[in-house]
Amino acid sequence: MVQVYLVFTTNHFPWLTIIVVLPISAGSLIFFLPHRGNRVIRWYTISICILELLLTTYAFCYHFQSGDPLIQLVEDYKWIDFFDFHWRLGIDGLSIGPILLTGFITTLATLAARPVTRDSRLFHFLMLAMYSGQIGLFSCRDLLLFFLMWELELIPVYLLLSMWGGKKRLYSATKFILYTAGGSVFLLMGVLGIGLYGSNEPTLNLEILANQSYPVALEIIFYIGFFIAFAVKLPIIPLHTWLPDTHGEAHYSTCMLLAGILLKMGAYGLVRINMELLPHAHSIFSPWLMIVGAMQIIYAASTSLGQRNLKKRIAYSSVSHMGFIIIGIGSITDTGLNGALLQIISHGFIGAALFFLAGTTYDRIRLVYLDEMGGIAIPMPKIFTMFSSFSMASLALPGMSGFVAELIVFFGLITSQKYLLMTKILITFVMAIGMILTPIYSLSMSRQMFYGYKIFNAPNSYFFDSGPRELFLSISIFLPILGIGMYPDFVLSLSVDKVEVILSNSFYR
Amino acid sequence: MEQTYQYAWIIPFVPLPVPMLIGVGLLLFPTATKNLRRMWAFPSILLLSIVMIFSINLSIQQINSSSIYQYVWSWTINNDFSLEFGYLIDPLTSIMSMLITTVGIMVLIYSDNYMAHDQGYLRFFAYMSFFSTSMLGLVTSSNLIQIYIFWELVGMCSYLLIGFWFTRPLAANACQKAFVTNRVGDFGLLLGILGFYWITGSFEFRDLFEILNNFFYNNEVNSSFVTLCAALLFTGAVAKSAQFPLHVWLPDAMEGPTPISALIHAATMVAAGIFLVARLLPLFIVIPYIMNFISLIGIITVLLGATLALAQKDIKRGLAYSTMSQLGYMMLALGMGSYRSALFHLITHAYSKALLFLGSGSIIHSMETIVGYSPDKSQNMVLMGGLTKHVPITQISFLLGTLSLCGIPPLACFWSKDEILNDSWLYSTIFGIIAWTTAGLTAFYMFRIYLLTFEGHLNVHFQNYSGKQNTPFYSISLWGKGGSKRINKNFRLLRMNNSKSSSFFSKKKKTYQSNENVRKRVGPFINIVHFENKKSYSYPYESDNTMLFPLFVLGIFTLFVGSLGIPFNQELDILSKWLTPSINLLHQKWNDSIDWYEFLKDAIFSVSISYFGIFIASFLYKPIYSPFKNFDLINLFVKTGPKRSLWDKIINSLYNWSYNRAYIDAFYTTSLTGAVRGLAQLTNFFDRRVIDGITNGVGVMSFFVGEGIKYVGGGRISSYLFFYLSCVSIFLLVFYFPVF
Repeated sequence: MVQVYLVFTTNHFPWLTIIVVLPISAGSLIFFLPHRGNRVIRWYTISICILELLLTTYAFCYHFQSGDPLIQLVEDYKWIDFFDFHWRLGIDGLSIGPILLTGFITTLATLAARPVTRDSRLFHFLMLAMYSGQIGLFSCRDLLLFFLMWELELIPVYLLLSMWGGKKRLYSATKFILYTAGGSVFLLMGVLGIGLYGSNEPTLNLEILANQSYPVALEIIFYIGFFIAFAVKLPIIPLHTWLPDTHGEAHYSTCMLLAGILLKMGAYGLVRINMELLPHAHSIFSPWLMIVGAMQIIYAASTSLGQRNLKKRIAYSSVSHMGFIIIGIGSITDTGLNGALLQIISHGFIGAALFFLAGTTYDRIRLVYLDEMGGIAIPMPKIFTMFSSFSMASLALPGMSGFVAELIVFFGLITSQKYLLMTKILITFVMAIGMILTPIYSLSMSRQMFYGYKIFNAPNSYFFDSGPRELFLSISIFLPILGIGMYPDFVLSLSVDKVEVILSNSFYR
Repeated sequence: MEQTYQYAWIIPFVPLPVPMLIGVGLLLFPTATKNLRRMWAFPSILLLSIVMIFSINLSIQQINSSSIYQYVWSWTINNDFSLEFGYLIDPLTSIMSMLITTVGIMVLIYSDNYMAHDQGYLRFFAYMSFFSTSMLGLVTSSNLIQIYIFWELVGMCSYLLIGFWFTRPLAANACQKAFVTNRVGDFGLLLGILGFYWITGSFEFRDLFEILNNFFYNNEVNSSFVTLCAALLFTGAVAKSAQFPLHVWLPDAMEGPTPISALIHAATMVAAGIFLVARLLPLFIVIPYIMNFISLIGIITVLLGATLALAQKDIKRGLAYSTMSQLGYMMLALGMGSYRSALFHLITHAYSKALLFLGSGSIIHSMETIVGYSPDKSQNMVLMGGLTKHVPITQISFLLGTLSLCGIPPLACFWSKDEILNDSWLYSTIFGIIAWTTAGLTAFYMFRIYLLTFEGHLNVHFQNYSGKQNTPFYSISLWGKGGSKRINKNFRLLRMNNSKSSSFFSKKKKTYQSNENVRKRVGPFINIVHFENKKSYSYPYESDNTMLFPLFVLGIFTLFVGSLGIPFNQELDILSKWLTPSINLLHQKWNDSIDWYEFLKDAIFSVSISYFGIFIASFLYKPIYSPFKNFDLINLFVKTGPKRSLWDKIINSLYNWSYNRAYIDAFYTTSLTGAVRGLAQLTNFFDRRVIDGITNGVGVMSFFVGEGIKYVGGGRISSYLFFYLSCVSIFLLVFYFPVF
């Protein structure tokens, strides 16, 4: 008994393995549940999600020292001896934020998916499988494992999209899978290249790789390979066109996962692999990153203005917000990288919430195009309130998380030592123009949807305002946004030390 | 004493519980919260009164001892940079917080009655209290980032309140316009803040001033870059205070409820730009050119606002343009470096304009009962007239406000405006002439508003002369429930005017048509009440005491607040005492003895100009026979004969200039909005056709290639044989006959 207790309290207990494996293994049990309707499956899935979230929180509360920049909760089991492939997990300040975000958003997305009734066994299994894949990606410490996890969450997304999507679901699902699989090819090439370089036997351990140095030309080639893979996922223009189609067609719970977590995998990969493993190439490419980021902010914002489809407009706004992450990563400063990490978390909340609200609105009025909508604020005041709050958060209103993240990115850019004054001024200027375009599209979106007056005389127009489930969902996303906005140290304190370590290894120091 | 300062951080947070509670209540327990609706007004007024007592206490201490108190906490931990939150209590803060709380309380009391029957009553009080919070936060903030945060929050409150009646498309457009225009200013503000952070490495005001002074002293800074940053900072103030290029949002902001126009768009929020410039004046004063730039923008706004106010039909828009012009005076004063007179005018103007707006709200409230709930009619000065008989108390208070704004001696604005006029004369002759002229114009347009509203006969009853049919009384209730169908067409009273005027009304028709189906306002039950009322009395009636009390109090303020700046018995006046530390900060020589002879001479001159304006206004707009003939000032001159045609043309063009808002709005619509739309279309086209086109093209290509290969590799032996033999024969031909 004492021993069992000791096992639970010490670090040797395989917390991460359990966290990674639990959702998918519990999810596969769904198929063995008795046929008693969808209710059982829903409750089962939600309780698994909550259990997982609680487990994660518990493990991180009691076994994670936030001041320590080293990898913690390390687990290392030999898996395939033949080429030194290990099941190697571990977390640090960089990955703890995205893991908690994943837990939170996936739980809420499962809650949001309650209206789904068709094939709900498979649906919920896929949600749980994605859960595992994402947490596995954020917590793995092995390059090949990283690739496996990266591929693991593609398949659930493809199936979710092609089976529960809208009218053009097959087109967008195919587009999604082709784009991301195309990116994965480059990722695989990069992984194998780095793994096989140098020594006789392959090294896939991220810790060893982080201290390895390469010839510049080779490093640049690796960098480009990884960059393409992550640029598809993040997305970076011009590789972004899968995103509006995918988001436009997917069910809104899938959209929440896509916007909330999937996009962040690209950003995480950029930091984890491109910055940490290939610092030299990163410092060569960072000016281009900044330019692309600034262009992306403007480009996606102005494209968003031209969209008629509500979900596509929100999707382009996500693309625009990703520009800040790229600039933060490209600035190579403590402040900028912290801002980028904060933006990852913040946009995870805001994007998920906006897609959720757009989806619930669509469920009620069954209109896709913005210019057909109008005047639904009166029948649905709660959705109106929540949607306005989130669009305010999305346009970086102070007091909400988006503002802090963008402001910190701005500071990172300003204080960056690497760039000339003129380039800094230009890029800051362009970013700030994005600040003007953002309210134009997001406010006109909410104006076209809610403002004005319209008599709904169609016979089937019985609108009901959001019920307690939807209200709970949006409020529970809204509170962290406010919390981070008021006191950003909640999130910043997790990553500050790790960011310093990454940058101290960076080429420019 | 010290304790008051220590706890001053609480000032912004005192009104905060109200919006939080109402918001949570409305989201979670809507019915229960709505049942308690009138109860919610009480805590919001109470909390704001507590803040008022607090700030009065602070002000008294500031007057007596004049110390600056600052306290900061750190907000984010990071090794590279640290953001700090804190508060700064100095004379400027105490003046602004006094202003915000006093006007705020009056407006809250007023709007309890004004909004009583509105369905959004609770929402209104939540927004108002949140506005007080963020405005108080703005004035107590101790660094630029904090200013920026509250600056945006104030802008958001303004957005929400302009769009308060969101079912009206006009309001929806106006609130978006206001937010985006303000965002343009914020863009400049943020860039300016970042620029100064890059130069000095600090956000704190006093560090900023000292470091920059040192830089200039040692000549180690690129002065053009500093000037650029300062100009960008100033852009924020330009947008918020509705100065020349970015003023377009203010008149449209009048779509919001009238108490909002009084509090936010006349007294406090638009003064935030003035506040910012005043706060940063030590910074601006050391930078070359920027002061001239500020005063130039100020003088342009003064003139533009006054000319635009000349021919407004809507009473609130007229007042809005007048606000813009008066804000221009303050900006001008700041640009000239006369800190004291700018703040003095800020105070006096806030009270007078709040009084005027609340008065106009009272007028609108009483007009609504007879013309219906459309802002096109209830705010239309054409339909008013002769209200003196019906709303005497409102008339007296409105007259007080009008006279004060015109600059008639015992009233508040006279003292402050006179100082600005004198200073501008000393600063530059041209500016002086423009400022004096505008004083005359101010008197003219204010009295035009006053005379059209209160003198003559009630014009609504003449509507049948227009030949159009009657019964303009219909409304779809604002909140849409029980939306009755529209009964009649728009009546066009103004048809009977001469052809010139009808030409621009016909331009206006489009807007009339567009919002016809959304006729506004006030919850369903009040409609019924007033329909009944209307049958028995068809005259406007005076508002309730709850609305008259704030008018009364603000009238008293308007009468006596000027005494702040009058030097009694050869000592320093209260305002100068109050502002001593700030003035010392500016290192200016201050002549405390005022030459009474000079003062009297200038005063007589300015007052006579005002009287001249009033005289012309009463000459043109005084009702002689039919009040209709006098509405349009062209009418008078049409009768005087053909030789006046040149004069007529001038008047007409001035009229059109004012009516079309100096063509600036139209210009912005075509150029900027068009450009943004064009850009959006272009990028959208590019995105769909080119980038996505390549992707889809690759997909289609691979499809065809696959089909082709499938066809080729179809497994027919004969086709393989044919292919093989033809290849061989071509090869043989080429090989054996090299002659070809």
